[in-house]
Amino acid sequence: MKQFDNKGRLFLLFLFLLPGIFYAQQTITGTVNSADGDVVPFANVIEEGTSNGTTTDIEGNFSITVDNLPVTLAFSSLGYETFTQEVGNTNPVQVTLVESTEALEEVVVTGLATSIKRSNAANAVSSVSSEELVGTTGQSTVDGALYGKVAGVNITSTSGAPGGGFALRLRGISSINGNNQPLIIVDGVYINNREVPSGLRFASGANSANEENSGNRLADLDPNDIENIEILKGSSAAAIYGQRGNAGVIIITTKRGKRGRTKVNFAQDVGVQSISNRLGMRPWTAAIVEEVFGPDERDKFLATIAERGELYDFEDIIYGNDGLITETRLSANGGNEKTQFYVGGSFRDEEGIIKNTGFERLSLRANIEHKISETFSLTSTTNYVESSSSRSFTGNENDGGLSYGYTLAFTRPWNNLFPDENGNYPNNPNYSGNPIFVRDQAKNEDSNNRIIQGLSLNTNILDTDVNRLRFNISGGLDYLANETYVYVPETHQAQLGTENPGFIAVGKNNFTQVNSQAALVWDHTTLEGDLDLTTQAGITYLYQDANTVLSRGSGLLAGQTNVQNSSTQAISQFLSEEEDFGYFGQVEGNYRDQFIATVGYRLDKSTRNGDPNELYGFPKASLAVNLANMDFWGLEALNQLKLRAAYGETGNPAGFGSTFTSYTSTVVADGPVGQTLAGQKGDPNIEPETAKEFEVGFDVGALNNRIRLEATYYNKTVDDLILTRQLPSSSGFTTETTNLADLKNYGIELALSADVIRADRFRWNTRLQFYQNRSEITRLDVPAFAQPGAGFGTGLGTIYIEEGQPVTQLVGNIDGELRQVGNVEPDFQMAWNNNITLFGQFDLSFLWQWKEGQENLNLSEYLTDLGQTTPDLNTPEGQARLDTPANAERFVEDASYIRLREAALYYRLPTKAVKTAFGSVVESIKIGVSGRNLITITDYSSYDPEVSVNGGAGLSNGIEVTPFPTARQMYFHLNVNF
Amino acid sequence: MKNIYKNIIRCSFLALLAISVIGCTFDEVIDPNGPSVDGVEANATIGQLNELVIGVESSFRFGHGTETTASGTMARELYLFNADPRNTGDLLGKNGIGLDNNSFYSTAQWNGSYRCIKNARLLIGAVNNTDAVNETEANGYIGFAKTIIAYELIQMLKSYDRARIDIDDPENLGPILEFGPAMDAIRQMLNEANQNLGNAGSEFVFGLSEGFEGFDTPDTFSSFNRGVAALAAVYDNDGQGALNALNNSFFDLNGDLDVGPKHVFGLGGNDIINQVFRVASTEEVPNNGDQIIVHNSFIEDAEEGDERVAEKTQPRPDPSTQDGLTGTHESTLYESVLSPIDIIRNEELILVYAEASILQNNLEDAETALNIIRNAAGLPDYSGAITSEALTTEMLRQRRYSLWSENHRMFDLRRYGLSNTLPIDREGDQIFNTLPVPLSENAND
Repeated sequence: MKQFDNKGRLFLLFLFLLPGIFYAQQTITGTVNSADGDVVPFANVIEEGTSNGTTTDIEGNFSITVDNLPVTLAFSSLGYETFTQEVGNTNPVQVTLVESTEALEEVVVTGLATSIKRSNAANAVSSVSSEELVGTTGQSTVDGALYGKVAGVNITSTSGAPGGGFALRLRGISSINGNNQPLIIVDGVYINNREVPSGLRFASGANSANEENSGNRLADLDPNDIENIEILKGSSAAAIYGQRGNAGVIIITTKRGKRGRTKVNFAQDVGVQSISNRLGMRPWTAAIVEEVFGPDERDKFLATIAERGELYDFEDIIYGNDGLITETRLSANGGNEKTQFYVGGSFRDEEGIIKNTGFERLSLRANIEHKISETFSLTSTTNYVESSSSRSFTGNENDGGLSYGYTLAFTRPWNNLFPDENGNYPNNPNYSGNPIFVRDQAKNEDSNNRIIQGLSLNTNILDTDVNRLRFNISGGLDYLANETYVYVPETHQAQLGTENPGFIAVGKNNFTQVNSQAALVWDHTTLEGDLDLTTQAGITYLYQDANTVLSRGSGLLAGQTNVQNSSTQAISQFLSEEEDFGYFGQVEGNYRDQFIATVGYRLDKSTRNGDPNELYGFPKASLAVNLANMDFWGLEALNQLKLRAAYGETGNPAGFGSTFTSYTSTVVADGPVGQTLAGQKGDPNIEPETAKEFEVGFDVGALNNRIRLEATYYNKTVDDLILTRQLPSSSGFTTETTNLADLKNYGIELALSADVIRADRFRWNTRLQFYQNRSEITRLDVPAFAQPGAGFGTGLGTIYIEEGQPVTQLVGNIDGELRQVGNVEPDFQMAWNNNITLFGQFDLSFLWQWKEGQENLNLSEYLTDLGQTTPDLNTPEGQARLDTPANAERFVEDASYIRLREAALYYRLPTKAVKTAFGSVVESIKIGVSGRNLITITDYSSYDPEVSVNGGAGLSNGIEVTPFPTARQMYFHLNVNF
Repeated sequence: MKNIYKNIIRCSFLALLAISVIGCTFDEVIDPNGPSVDGVEANATIGQLNELVIGVESSFRFGHGTETTASGTMARELYLFNADPRNTGDLLGKNGIGLDNNSFYSTAQWNGSYRCIKNARLLIGAVNNTDAVNETEANGYIGFAKTIIAYELIQMLKSYDRARIDIDDPENLGPILEFGPAMDAIRQMLNEANQNLGNAGSEFVFGLSEGFEGFDTPDTFSSFNRGVAALAAVYDNDGQGALNALNNSFFDLNGDLDVGPKHVFGLGGNDIINQVFRVASTEEVPNNGDQIIVHNSFIEDAEEGDERVAEKTQPRPDPSTQDGLTGTHESTLYESVLSPIDIIRNEELILVYAEASILQNNLEDAETALNIIRNAAGLPDYSGAITSEALTTEMLRQRRYSLWSENHRMFDLRRYGLSNTLPIDREGDQIFNTLPVPLSENAND
């Protein structure tokens, strides 16, 4: 925050100078606007070569008096590039400032209550601005919007359903059993990013809750509300977050009001999404049908061809919907010296590529900052979200007849599955479900009501030239009321095959998270202003509880959709409550922006650890050396050369319940209740996993930061890794969760960006990122084992935990021998992002993303092979595959891809035209077209190489069983500023 | 200047101190979702012990479905046509693939049976560590628990050909024993259990489900224990031992074949259903989903007029084909998801008697017993040779039809060395007769 202070002082200085320059003779007036058309209030206007200057008012107008013309005026404002213009007469001057793309003035978070200039940071902290996040194309979720924008992050899509389903991994896997999703903090509030299961597995026969393809609840956050995202990727940057920081920390700041005239923004997006990649149908001929299925099926095939001239293209019937996307946003922001506000609302309605699927989100936000006095200031951020989705049925199942991909694998395209005139759906003769019936009649829905409230009170205790002391209390609440609803009618084919046809599951789930923090921050300047010391100390507290209740009924009254109208009912409930408490302290020293050193320490305890009152310590230390700021530096072209090194430790407590060995209730034939051992053996002495990371790197800025290079190497070890390992089940226990292993992740991250062209009406800036991660299990106290819930056993392939091997290896039983068949970790990833301004008014941007060398286990193909419907089965290769044993080696595939992730073209209407048409009511108008997932180049044979059948938790990644296919989205955008 | 520092430090210290008070000690964490094992280890009440008994009986059913369909598939009694292709792939050795020791078919039974065994062990431990029951009552619990353990261990030997007997310390499990030594230990355990039951008075102080109706006192439960002992004896090639045990069991040559303790089921949330039941097809509503298809050889090899075929199977409206396998009939062995499954019934004991008689060379006794079975199935008396070999063939044949799809055939063929007589349905298929011990069993090694 220091940077702002300096600017503030500068600004005051100018105000004081103002009265002294009234003797001048020529007065120049004008306005300063931003490239978006916004006015820029409080911008500095300086007559070059003099100390004469002024600032713009709240409307962006300025008036400066100079001795004689012509003069050169320099316009500058925080966040914009400085612009100079020669003025030869007193006609009003119209100046447009371009937002700074330089990271130079940006600040990054380094402590729980402080931040630092990016140019002084000792870590490679990635930032994503609002413009980068949502400026190109429409985004439905924050995690999905991060693809290709952050070096060091691996994003996996766990479902293509509207409303998403994404897993973020920062610098590789940091936990085998526990949480791998980063901690997400929105305006100081620790938010809930769970996948809430719906219980559809009880109808579909999926093996576990993580095969239900639920979305993760980060989807509730409107990406358009975000001003900035900072990503602390490793332990060295996240150490001050202690035992919640192991998987990295994502710090999201939402939009704030700006002093000045109230600005209103209206934006409307209209788009359409459709399946991005069709696999097509096996080219059937009568002869092939007879060869594969026999003469009866041949007759059916011929009858269908005779009747309608073609087969039923079920891929098109099920996945071929063109889903309409609309999003409307309205926001206003403004304020005065004391109070600034941002209020906004948005409504997104997304229809999926499968009929009757969709996602809706209504988000309302009010962010208010108020300065009570010189001593106290208050910030409140409030976000209410109502979201709902309808995700239908995809992914793994067993005999549910529900999952589309599963059903289609066995569905033969000469059977008419459409309902007759009475609305009766025919049975699927080759599988236990009619996909058209499921699409039209079965439901898998969720709805969420959520409030996220942050509050922060800052107290300036002391403010002198050399000492500033402030006390900050902040905290927040995230309350989520989630409901799930699964309905499978009693007339569904697979249900007819059960004793009690019809299934309904109603989930009522409540999650509360509360966190608070108190910190004292002391800024001290010494050595005659050469050394700034920032010291902070404080405490943090986190509370989370969950209460999930699922009521299930089967045997439904005809047409009834209430769980009460069922013949048999079952209720399950899961409760959890956890608390964390921590102390932190940190000292940061900055010697003339040349040497910047930090040391810090955090102490944490958690009720999830074996001993809830044992404190665990997490130290950190870092050093950045800005060579280019040294007095001896003479190389003008290289304006920045920073060497940096950082070390830090973080933790991750065991999952809730790991300490318990418990019984669970059971009943025999409606008799009295009894207790049977639950499968888990608890560990009452479990300790948190601890990650230690060392990061080194350098940042180079050349030609006044026109070319910038950031390079980072990291080595992160995780000790005492908590594993759920299988126990010899003859012990009566099947699993135990305990500290059993060590893991190492290491990798490099490179980011090169350049302002290639900087002309007036033509601008091109480009950024290229390259990153890779490698992992290795360096200690394993138990024999190698197949990770439960991450694969399908060694028979079909599984993630396999083995010393000396990557934690992401895929292993299968090949001819009686366990062998590594692949690795779901990419060899490397690259992203290439471009923003081009053409003819002053056109903005073209595109983002290419490349994942190389990841291997997937494509078990969808296993199913289509069995059903004889794989498109390539008429080829010799396809036939040869049918004769190979059904083991992991057969199904592993290269999942590398290159994708045009985002592209857009916008047109900013000329200010003059806007003014002519709308007068002063409308300030600016922008229209554009964009697309997402436009081009994909891959050898992967299924819908999308981005896939995970096991949801976003744990190690899941790269294992495919009939997912919801990925969509391509195209948008039209309208953006109006008032 | 000095004062400022002092103030800053004092101020910081006080503020932190003030807030630190909030961060008081966390309470001990208690599982809000279930009772803890420690809670019954010592000083359990009768109520708690009886809840553990229900747990034992409940978990006695665990893993049964997969156990039956997997061994039935491997023994070409049936096919399971459902969503998991390994049921028609791995289990039949398709294209030369081997059985995997980390797949559901190899782990389900092992996990389920040992969960039950552990529950029974915890019950014994709780009984021995409480003053809530007297010695007579304690004998009842222990006799019950040990009999169940022994029965489960026999099931392990049938499927895996080996079993781990000593499981008391989860950190230091005993060795996995081969069939012979394991069977010795099991038979000894059954005898101990029978002694416990003999010293258990006239009533149990715990209740059992309706499945144990007629077997729910120490005396009648002992007749079940002896039935299991007879079973163990013939599997151990001890004909005389089997005959002795049968004498004290509920075996009755002229009695109702269906008598015997049963697994019973319920639809409630914490209950389980009969997992070998599948809804039967009708002409209007064929069940094309999850279905147990009868291996055609069971129909083709049946003696004309064998009523058991029509009782246990029915023709499908259309023959069913999956993964290159075809069957004309489907299972109707059970009527509903709530149909009880026999643990051991008189019919099986009569067949055990026949087998024991052959082993003891009492061939006429064997013939008598087999005729009882034949006549009950609507077949005339046995007319083949009265030799040990011929009668063994007949006995195995009657076992095949009387105990179809009840997890006997694979083991029967294995113990008589006849597995390789099974038909091969697809080129490249193989015959397996033993499940691999689950991979995780090495986890403590």
